[in-house]
Amino acid sequence: METAIRTSTIKEKLISEFEESKKILFGNTRLRDQAIESFCKQGIPTRKNEEYKYTPVDLMLKEEFYFTANKNCSNEQIEHLKFLKGAYVAIIENGIFMEGLSNLNNLPNGLTICSLADAAKNNSTIFEKYYAQYADINADPFIALNTAMAKDGVFIYVAKNAIIEKPIHIIDISTTFENIMIQQRNLIVVDENAQAKIIESFETLDSNAITFSNALTEIVINENAIVDYYKIQDEKELGNLVNTTQIIQKKQSIFSIHTFTLSGSLVRNNLTLVLDGEHIGSHLNGLYLTAGNQVVDNHTVVDHRKPNCNSNELYKGIIDGKSTATFNGKVFVRKDAQKTNAFQSNKNILLSEDGTINTKPQLEIYADDVKCSHGTSTGKLDEEKIFYLLSRGLGTDSAKKLLMNAFASEVVDTITIEPLREYIEGKILKKFELH
Amino acid sequence: MNEILEEKISTEYKYGFVTDIEADNAPKGLNEDIIRFISAKKNEPEWMLNYRLKALRYWLTMDEPNWAHVSYQKPNFQDIIYYSAPKPKVALNSLDEVDPELLKTFQKLGLSILEQERLTGVESRIAVDIIMDSVSVKTTFKETLAEKGIIFCSFGEAIQEHPELVKKYMSSVVPYTDNFYAALNSAVFTDGSFCYIPKGVRCPMELSTYFRINSAGTGQFERTLIIADEDSYVSYLEGCTAPMRDENQLHAAVVELVAHKNAQIKYSTVQNWYPGDKEGKGGIFNFVTKRGICLEKNAKISWTQVETGSAITWKYPSVILKGDHSVGEFYSVALTNNYQQADTGTKMIHIGKNTKSTIISKGISAGFSNNSYRGLVKIAKGADNARNFSQCDSLLMSDQCGAHTFPYIEIKNNSAIVEHEATTSKIGEDQLFYCKQRGIDNEKAIGLIVNGYCKEVLNQLPMEFAVEAQKLLAISLEGSVG
Repeated sequence: METAIRTSTIKEKLISEFEESKKILFGNTRLRDQAIESFCKQGIPTRKNEEYKYTPVDLMLKEEFYFTANKNCSNEQIEHLKFLKGAYVAIIENGIFMEGLSNLNNLPNGLTICSLADAAKNNSTIFEKYYAQYADINADPFIALNTAMAKDGVFIYVAKNAIIEKPIHIIDISTTFENIMIQQRNLIVVDENAQAKIIESFETLDSNAITFSNALTEIVINENAIVDYYKIQDEKELGNLVNTTQIIQKKQSIFSIHTFTLSGSLVRNNLTLVLDGEHIGSHLNGLYLTAGNQVVDNHTVVDHRKPNCNSNELYKGIIDGKSTATFNGKVFVRKDAQKTNAFQSNKNILLSEDGTINTKPQLEIYADDVKCSHGTSTGKLDEEKIFYLLSRGLGTDSAKKLLMNAFASEVVDTITIEPLREYIEGKILKKFELH
Repeated sequence: MNEILEEKISTEYKYGFVTDIEADNAPKGLNEDIIRFISAKKNEPEWMLNYRLKALRYWLTMDEPNWAHVSYQKPNFQDIIYYSAPKPKVALNSLDEVDPELLKTFQKLGLSILEQERLTGVESRIAVDIIMDSVSVKTTFKETLAEKGIIFCSFGEAIQEHPELVKKYMSSVVPYTDNFYAALNSAVFTDGSFCYIPKGVRCPMELSTYFRINSAGTGQFERTLIIADEDSYVSYLEGCTAPMRDENQLHAAVVELVAHKNAQIKYSTVQNWYPGDKEGKGGIFNFVTKRGICLEKNAKISWTQVETGSAITWKYPSVILKGDHSVGEFYSVALTNNYQQADTGTKMIHIGKNTKSTIISKGISAGFSNNSYRGLVKIAKGADNARNFSQCDSLLMSDQCGAHTFPYIEIKNNSAIVEHEATTSKIGEDQLFYCKQRGIDNEKAIGLIVNGYCKEVLNQLPMEFAVEAQKLLAISLEGSVG
């Protein structure tokens, strides 16, 4: 199974790896066959592909990769990553769910957290009902690849009427001596009237090789459920991440997702939110702080399918060094989705001379009784504001930091879990120190 | 409100007459022989023919673009007549020699050259170049303009008489390699307008071109080139109509604008090609490449367009802001009704320092139509202190139509300030209610609101055109709004 792969043949290598390993993988082999076929058709996207115009994934995949790592981390090593006291912690190391490292004792009634491969066997009713139902293998090559090759991940099920008070913390760790490609898959189902808060953090630990993670999470939010989801992407210089999140919301549910991209060499987020019911509320917030040669690309799709729903999207970025940040947001309003309110906003600060911002906020609207708007602005830090602070006795550096912090706080303040907010605030401050 | 809309949607295209003039057509199809035929017909020099052939060879290697948000039956490029000239084509010295049928056409178009000729000496007047099918028929006021050193003539004439200018500027803004339709146009273009404003001259009148497709089965491929030398100013108007036909006709034009130091070009378009019938049958495919370049500092190019016609519109008037302190503007009203589809917008490429651009786009969709704004704002690395403001509003008039916004913003300079705003909504019930309360009936109220909605753009049009554009909007809106 340990085959190193090269770009020219990366597609072939992926396919041969698939053929070798498919028998031992969980779930339905027919689905995996269809997915690999679709991946073959789509290929690895180049920058000629409109959707990947600003994300050089093809260049990234020129490296050689292994599919499994022979490195494991210990409990002590990951202790500091479990910064949320009292949370239910699920550890996924190099795409494999690690029960021994996780803190899953005393799970309350109505909450199931286990390995996805186990769920395929032991929770097959729910698994079969929802697994791969929403992430369309023909929509994106990385969805196809993940569906074909996913080894494991976490499965979370919140039963009807269960209200989970404590947060659930999923920690995705990559740790390796050699370049590795990870195919991780999560399935989260929150049933009717249930409530949950979920945090997913992406970390690299003690790695001296390149990691390429193709992580896919499907989230199903049933009627009247309320879910808060946080993503913290902090993968360091050698981490590359293609993170697909496919969410389906049923009627009268409320969902908010907050994506914080703090580090990582290449981060591509494909976030698709389908509002499939009436009276749904959705919030999408994002903050990306880029520096060095980082490439961060946020693709979001909000698909309004039914009437009387609200969606609100706010993405903000601070770009430094030679980094490139992209925001590509799309709002669909289908024919039936009258009385939709959809708002989208993207604001950027370009700190350095060599940074690049590409933004493409899009509206596609087929219903007439709607209120939709989008706005985007890009500029540097306001000289007048800096001057004001200087005149009050602040140094240039602290004035800038203060302004950047104020800029970021609009997104950070939406975090409702106190210790998490403090953690992120600390991370952001530290990041600004480096500027 | 809906009943009024439904009822009004039945308004027919008012310019759908065919003029019965014998035309001199080339055989259908496209190959090197046809290119040679066109070139020979037009008595062109060798270099022009070579340019056409190069473009054709390049075009043959290209695929039709399909990224735009429109769907249509791709035209069969071998089934088009690439050259059609109204037959009694001899050098015309005075209007008396013009075919009376032709004159009738122009009168129907509401454009009486006779009258204009008589009005010489009157303050507000327009010099018109009329292009029918593929050939420039008549250019008015040529002599008056010549006194000031302004060259305003058909493209064919310019090739003969001012080859040095044509050679220097043609293809400098839109190279034949630019895109599929630009390459096609470079190979087969038959005529168009050429305009040169010398140093320090402020063009005393509006220059105008009227385009009309007349013969069946033809495509219109004209080329416009406007050069404004240092410290000059010109305002240019373009209008288009076509007869009603069941088939789709292709219009693939190229417009190039060059503005030198301190020069200013204002280019206004009222596009009213036949949009097809109520079922979406027929209509013009309008695939146009328009681009201007602010070559040196303080130059300014301003595009204003009112788009009401065409079955498919695919058009992005752009400005390359190369000179420091140069300014680009884009004002657009695009109205689609029935089964029309429009994918239109602009590109503002900031290269020089302290460059500034403004984009105001107003889309109105009614019936079953789809109306998209697609625009690019690009700030290059050296474009210090570049400034852009974009606003794209869409108004939806029925529950079957679509309004879309696809802005692309690429920024590589941190001193740039770029803002983009877009809204989509329908006419507010409260606004209608307010009007009705004041005794204005529903239909008039909708007209009033739509007119107010477009005002920012309509105000940019020259006087002569503003009136016409408002009428045109009213006619097209009559079909849907009132």
